[in-house]
Amino acid sequence: MSVRKYPNPSFFKAKNRMDWKAQAANMKEIGGIIGGMLKETDWKDFFGRQGKNLKSDAKRVQKEFESFAKMSMKERADLILKGEKKLGKLYRAGDMATVRREWRGLRDTGVDFYEWLRMWGMLLATFSKDLVPALNATFYYRWMISYMCCVGFMDKNTMGQRGRALKMSHEMIYCIFRYVAENLVFLAKCDRKNGNSDELNKKTVLFDEMTMGQIMAGFPKLLGIPYQLMPVFLVSEIDQLTCIPYLDAVESFGLPADTCPVPSSECGALVVDALPHMGSCFISSSMPCDGSVMASSYVSRRFPDLPTFHLTFPVRYEYEETVEDATEDVKECIKFVERITGEKWDWNNYFTCMKRFNEETAYELEKWEVNKTDYPQIIGPSYELFRKWNYEMDGGSDPRVIKSCKKVQKLMLDAYERKEEAWPGKMKYRAIVWSCPAHYYANFTNWLANCWGVDVLVEMESLNFTKPLETEDKETALMDLSRLYERMVMRRHTNGGYQNVVDELWRQCEAWNVDIIIMYQHVSCKNMSTLQGILDEQAREKGYHMIWIEHDLMDPRTVSRKSMRAKVNEYMRTVMKATPCDDSLLDFDDESAM
Amino acid sequence: MRDLKHLIYFENLLDNADNELVEKAKQDGKLAVGYTCYHIPEVLLNVDRCFSVRLRAPRTGSIDIATYYMSNYTCEFARSLVERGIEGGYQFLDGLAGVDACSMMNRFYEHFEILKMNSKENFFVTHTDMPYKVEDYSVRSYVKQMRIRLLDVMEKNLGVDTSDAAIRKAVEEHNKVCRILTEIGEMRKADNPVITGYEYHILNLVSYTCPKYLILPYLEETLEELKTRKPDPKPWFRARVSIVGSEIDDPSLTKLIEECGALVVSDRYCYGSTPGREVIELNDEEPALDQICRFYMEHSECARYISDEKVQQRRTTADRLAKEFKADGIIYEQMKFCDFWGFERALVTHIMSEEMGWPVLSIDRPYNARSSGQLRTRFQAFVESLEIKKIHKNNAEKAKKEEA
Repeated sequence: MSVRKYPNPSFFKAKNRMDWKAQAANMKEIGGIIGGMLKETDWKDFFGRQGKNLKSDAKRVQKEFESFAKMSMKERADLILKGEKKLGKLYRAGDMATVRREWRGLRDTGVDFYEWLRMWGMLLATFSKDLVPALNATFYYRWMISYMCCVGFMDKNTMGQRGRALKMSHEMIYCIFRYVAENLVFLAKCDRKNGNSDELNKKTVLFDEMTMGQIMAGFPKLLGIPYQLMPVFLVSEIDQLTCIPYLDAVESFGLPADTCPVPSSECGALVVDALPHMGSCFISSSMPCDGSVMASSYVSRRFPDLPTFHLTFPVRYEYEETVEDATEDVKECIKFVERITGEKWDWNNYFTCMKRFNEETAYELEKWEVNKTDYPQIIGPSYELFRKWNYEMDGGSDPRVIKSCKKVQKLMLDAYERKEEAWPGKMKYRAIVWSCPAHYYANFTNWLANCWGVDVLVEMESLNFTKPLETEDKETALMDLSRLYERMVMRRHTNGGYQNVVDELWRQCEAWNVDIIIMYQHVSCKNMSTLQGILDEQAREKGYHMIWIEHDLMDPRTVSRKSMRAKVNEYMRTVMKATPCDDSLLDFDDESAM
Repeated sequence: MRDLKHLIYFENLLDNADNELVEKAKQDGKLAVGYTCYHIPEVLLNVDRCFSVRLRAPRTGSIDIATYYMSNYTCEFARSLVERGIEGGYQFLDGLAGVDACSMMNRFYEHFEILKMNSKENFFVTHTDMPYKVEDYSVRSYVKQMRIRLLDVMEKNLGVDTSDAAIRKAVEEHNKVCRILTEIGEMRKADNPVITGYEYHILNLVSYTCPKYLILPYLEETLEELKTRKPDPKPWFRARVSIVGSEIDDPSLTKLIEECGALVVSDRYCYGSTPGREVIELNDEEPALDQICRFYMEHSECARYISDEKVQQRRTTADRLAKEFKADGIIYEQMKFCDFWGFERALVTHIMSEEMGWPVLSIDRPYNARSSGQLRTRFQAFVESLEIKKIHKNNAEKAKKEEA
């Protein structure tokens, strides 16, 4: 029988078996650490800095008041109704957050505040479903603390947006954090150091990294969790500073610093025991790259008793003859989950979810169609994040996502009819993002739009498999599922031959009618960096503006955000001879900002 | 020890990919098929008129152009091959058999195609897919890949016979080479071996890079010579080491280690003899291709294999070789920027040392390591530490005996 509610309510209700003695011991240790920190804090310096900040705040308020006083009535009305235009002043050197929230105009600030409240309401309601282990997780894992600033992340991702674009972004961010909050509760409940719920652990299947969740649609009574996603990857997009200790730990352990920071951080998290001890089994995967393949052996090493299945898809996925091997592997994976958990694969539920997923895909394609026109609507990091964490990860299992899709769809079409601009007055250039993006942690897409009017219409990571999945024939359905997995985020382009990333780029540039290619050069991404010369050469031949931006997903010490922005500033100034939309954003300090 | 009769000749053969014997074979009307990875079964490239050449980029100097194409933080081996290809160093090839096993090496094959490094009319670059684990269905998939993406491509472009009979014939010749190298390799087990690690490395490399039928007589003669070769009365080395890790096609690395006082007794790395120089036993019931593919998958020690049994196999093999060849320690090495061996080396170094009790030296290295002062220092320090351990062990045993 198919389960209707999502997530399955029994997951929240599963009984915990907390070892209170161990919790007390942990609290004692935490108390000791906090005590030590308090003791070692230079209070004079601390209060000195607070005093300085207060003075700086007072100065800022005074300056803002004076500038408002100097404005004409028209300018004042514009500021009150449409919001502020100089966003650089929201940043202060050394601060982790902006000095205040953005004034978006009367109506949009109201919308923003409502969404802020809605987000907090959802977070509190979700965590209240099992508050003790969820809160207790903050005493075990430093990454849990970073989630406290998720509302700041919401502000960051909507910076400069107005009207329907703002509403759409909020709707999508809400979905993302609902997914995050629910999974955090489950992680806390399952963690043997914490909630220690045997009942839930028996039902929990762990997935490697960014492996999509569609396969779990056939197991509605089980809980599939992308194991390292919350503690490492997703949190690093909110707070880039989170993974630094993991990288340092694994490099001290002996891992070369030239490997991709994503699997490196995951391995580092294992080295310092920052991943929950949980689950009935683990599905490791060969996706998306070589480093990622190797990270699974670190999981097996840390948790030798955790039964593991290695889900491995062919690299040359365009070869039709490899589909059989991939499908066999999916079948074996299903058998493995059945054997470990005792659950049976439910075709009805799988087909129901895939029908929903196909519908979501149709919505995705419609978004693309609108963005290809002269009036793109859903642009910015919220959309890309939504696509990655909701559309792809839950993969049709969550009926609430489709409701959001519908809502966003309506807003998008309304905005399109009215020819609205996502960033009013800042729609100058059409851009595509290629390679591993830095939108989120560095807030780069928003900055590009707000500072230079460079609007990112689509990114490489979105352009994945869009063929409707089979929902009737079982064998074909599994073949389609394999094809989907083979073409998942990152893998679709970086695997299977250079054509998938080089030729594909030129095809997409034409389809989206772009002027600028934001070419991220993620240090240590070998699949991409081995093509840099070819990409560079062909871009020149084809006459595209390609701006190379070096960055490091998880370690701002390698490439600072300031130097990333400087690359664009220089290109826009010297090559494009462009004038910035907001010169206050040309140079600011956000090195400590989340 | 007296120098081996053909050593200098072998060394010269390794100075160029397009060496004297390769040229000779070409004159004989043979067709050269290049490859780099163990996952392309060498025997399949030696069917009919074809002969295999495992590609190297000897005497690599600047790799600036390849670095422009592939950036400066990618595998130097792949970049050196691209550089040599751009220079025209692989023009002698008639085909290139690629395997999409590691992303950087795959890009080498792709650059070969994109930059049109070979202008021969029927020249081909083929890309094959390689499974990550050994299951019945993945073996089937591998067989299919070798048939569709390799043998059929060779047949179509070069007009060669890739039938079961042709494959079996290639295996026979391959096995002759393997038997000789295995027999020579076994000699390294002796307390005072008649062959050095460097010499063995040279012999093994020529067997990969030269046409089999032309190198065989030299190898046979060398084997006979070794049977009667007298070792130095007192061993010249201070310790015995086993090497495990990623690709080494540069014998001067082995030379560097031996100059520091360590005899290299086993070579478990890509382009080494384990795996690579094992005899392939075929039965008559099953198609040769199926048996060969299974053999290669089972024998592969590539860090890319993700499944638990293969992960364990790699550790067991390293331990077994070190024991069988009486090594005092293990050198775990990786080519800089190699993701597979980077992760493997970091983890297994701890396991080998903390759980299996092996003294381990863990290094990453450039493609050309000969002139690395840093590596020399590390090798010297490792040899000293092994010596000290030996002295302590001997003293302890002596004390025990005296007590008894």
